[in-house]
Amino acid sequence: MASLSGRQFRAMVKKDIVMELRTKEMIMSMGLYSLLTMVVYFVALSQTGSNFDPRDIAAGLLWLAFIFTSMLGLNRSLVHEKDQGCLEALLLSPVDRPVIFFAKVIGNLIFLLAVEALTIPVFGFLFLQGSSLDIGSMALVPLIMFAGSVGIAGVGTLLATMSVNTSGKDFVLPVLFIPLMYPLLLGAVSATAAAITGGPDAMGGFWIGMAWVVGYDVIMLLASYGLYEFIVGA
Amino acid sequence: MKSASTRALIALALGGVLTLGAFLGTFFWAGVPDFGFVRTAGRAESVRYQGPFKQEVAEARYLQNYVGYRAEVETDGDIVQGTITEASDDAVTLDADGDSVTIDAADVTSAIVSGSTYGRPDWGQKIFYFHVPVAEISFIVFAVAAFYSLRFIMTRRRQYDQKARVAMEVTLTFIMLTMATGILWTRAAWGVWWEWEPRLTTYFIMTLLVIAYFVLRNSVEDEERRALYAAAFSILGFIDAPISFFITRLIPSNHPVIERGGLETPMLVSFIVAQIGMLLVGYAIYQLRMGEMKLTDRIEHAKTLLEG
Amino acid sequence: MGSEQPTANALEVRDLTRAFGMRKALDGVSFDLPGQAFLSVFGPNGAGKTTLVKVLTTLLNPTSGTAKVLGFDVVSDAVEMRNHIGLISHNPLLYPDLTAEENLLFFAEMYGIEEPHVRVAELLDAVELDHRKLDLTRTFSRGMLQRLSIARALLHRPEVIFLDEPYSGLDPHAMDILDGLIAAVRDKHTFVMISHDLDKGLELCSHALILAKGRVVLFEPREAIDEAVFRDTYRATVGLGVA
Repeated sequence: MASLSGRQFRAMVKKDIVMELRTKEMIMSMGLYSLLTMVVYFVALSQTGSNFDPRDIAAGLLWLAFIFTSMLGLNRSLVHEKDQGCLEALLLSPVDRPVIFFAKVIGNLIFLLAVEALTIPVFGFLFLQGSSLDIGSMALVPLIMFAGSVGIAGVGTLLATMSVNTSGKDFVLPVLFIPLMYPLLLGAVSATAAAITGGPDAMGGFWIGMAWVVGYDVIMLLASYGLYEFIVGA
Repeated sequence: MKSASTRALIALALGGVLTLGAFLGTFFWAGVPDFGFVRTAGRAESVRYQGPFKQEVAEARYLQNYVGYRAEVETDGDIVQGTITEASDDAVTLDADGDSVTIDAADVTSAIVSGSTYGRPDWGQKIFYFHVPVAEISFIVFAVAAFYSLRFIMTRRRQYDQKARVAMEVTLTFIMLTMATGILWTRAAWGVWWEWEPRLTTYFIMTLLVIAYFVLRNSVEDEERRALYAAAFSILGFIDAPISFFITRLIPSNHPVIERGGLETPMLVSFIVAQIGMLLVGYAIYQLRMGEMKLTDRIEHAKTLLEG
Repeated sequence: MGSEQPTANALEVRDLTRAFGMRKALDGVSFDLPGQAFLSVFGPNGAGKTTLVKVLTTLLNPTSGTAKVLGFDVVSDAVEMRNHIGLISHNPLLYPDLTAEENLLFFAEMYGIEEPHVRVAELLDAVELDHRKLDLTRTFSRGMLQRLSIARALLHRPEVIFLDEPYSGLDPHAMDILDGLIAAVRDKHTFVMISHDLDKGLELCSHALILAKGRVVLFEPREAIDEAVFRDTYRATVGLGVA
């Protein structure tokens, strides 16, 4: 049984990747969306004075871009399953529900990380040129990025599975998603800010934020995993 | 049926009397405290109603709250002691043994204030007997809603969904009352309507979660699916409640915390009576709403029977 | 496959009830269906046909009562049972952005089929889609989608096949192909079909079931059915409206 679950899991992740590579729907829409966010950031920051240090708010702006782009992708990834009733076909096959959950989480996580990996250099190029950055502590940014994305993909997959079945799905997902994400965002932004600012004092702050995010991931992933079976079958 | 609504009405009357009685009673019995809540980053000093005090302030601008009190203000290596005569967001003026010294708020590295807090009646503190019980009930009813949601997911019985939903409605009512009274008090005590302070922020998030619960309910067509989704969301959302409840004890926060033994006996008794009263009011609203739901169900059932 | 099955009855449904609050989608449904039979389920909208199929295919749990498919209980043996049932719906249940072959291979993996490529090639041949196997199903016509969907449903050699209004939206040619495919596997399989089309349903079936308001109005083998009486009964249930 374990090996069958492994086969099913691999097949589902592979299917999502093949479909995405073929249509490039999520990467394109999410990537473009995050670029547009950068334009809006530029406008929003255009009136700041010369004393303004973009490093102070870089972490917040980055996570803002991540959280909004992620919702776009989450919605799409579940709409694929729902469109022609494929989810029903999946549920009819002898697959354990958690396998579906984790396969969707991994798929979403991969696309999310890909878009984030594109966003960060673009953001740095557009906003952080000329700021003195500590390369050593900047190397920790991918770590918190990964930890935060796990939480986003986990909770997001559960909520998107609900929201695709609601009327007005584009509105429902953010309403459910953002307040639930608040604790994670708080930790992720503080850790990212510490990593960008750098310096010996920042490391303590980074690891506290990191621990907070990992704690959130563990609790929320377990809760989502437990609830998914009931949600997906409804 | 009848007995449930009668009981609810009795609970409502009793709860109302207790809450109101405790509130009014404090004016005669517990009196008006001489000194109210002050802005501090410390925890132990947050609620102190009367008597001598000595504490550190978190930011220099908070010295405005202590005009007339003794202060020990430390600037870069220099300590000035004296009575605060004037203070603003930018500067504080001390009377140090006859010499008037003005210090820029930006230069202050730390400040300790001390004195005795008699003769400054703090009427705003009275909201404590309303705001705190209401807020506590909102947490309790949220927990009840999450519990019934869990029961629903396990049993799939519609009655639990109804109970969870009504409990959530009561939660929303109490959250709104808490928010309204809290904002008024914040203005009176802190001089601002709102502050992004840990307790206020997490409680605001909780408000959004409860509103989102109803948004979710309204956007799902199928009755059973709606119930399942709502139940799952309320369980996930409930995670914020303990965070909001305990956060003032975990990280420095301006929001007052009741310390063990921090309340004088008259205050403590009034506070407990108000809590019991508010709990009864919450129970009454829940029961009355539940009765209404059951009646609606019976009417619907009668309708289908008549059609068939 | 069918002959391996020791129990005579493919379906054993006992007092099956599916309710939420006072609203009952299924209300005490009981019947037995022998193996290799073809059951047509009729009834007005909201009669509980879809709910019945969802319960029998383990997608929904019953509130009370039991249902056994091939001797497997729909609740306790759900995972094992899914290996023995297939569903052909009016929805294709296929991913539009995968090719025909990829779709079938994907579901073959989900069922853990040995040598998936061989089985998939075999089925593509059977539904005459071999020449289109590298095309995205997005580009397929309704009839081709339905054929592919049949191939998907037969991948794991199910013994009981559920048909949820498979003819809706099909052109006459596609209908003929579907008829041919069903006829080809008819004698080895048990079929349960939901249908609005009385003529088609009666033509194919060996047993007929009429549901109204979640209750069984009529359950009889085809031989026992007087067609005129049957039509009257059906019309009367439609008059009952939505339960």
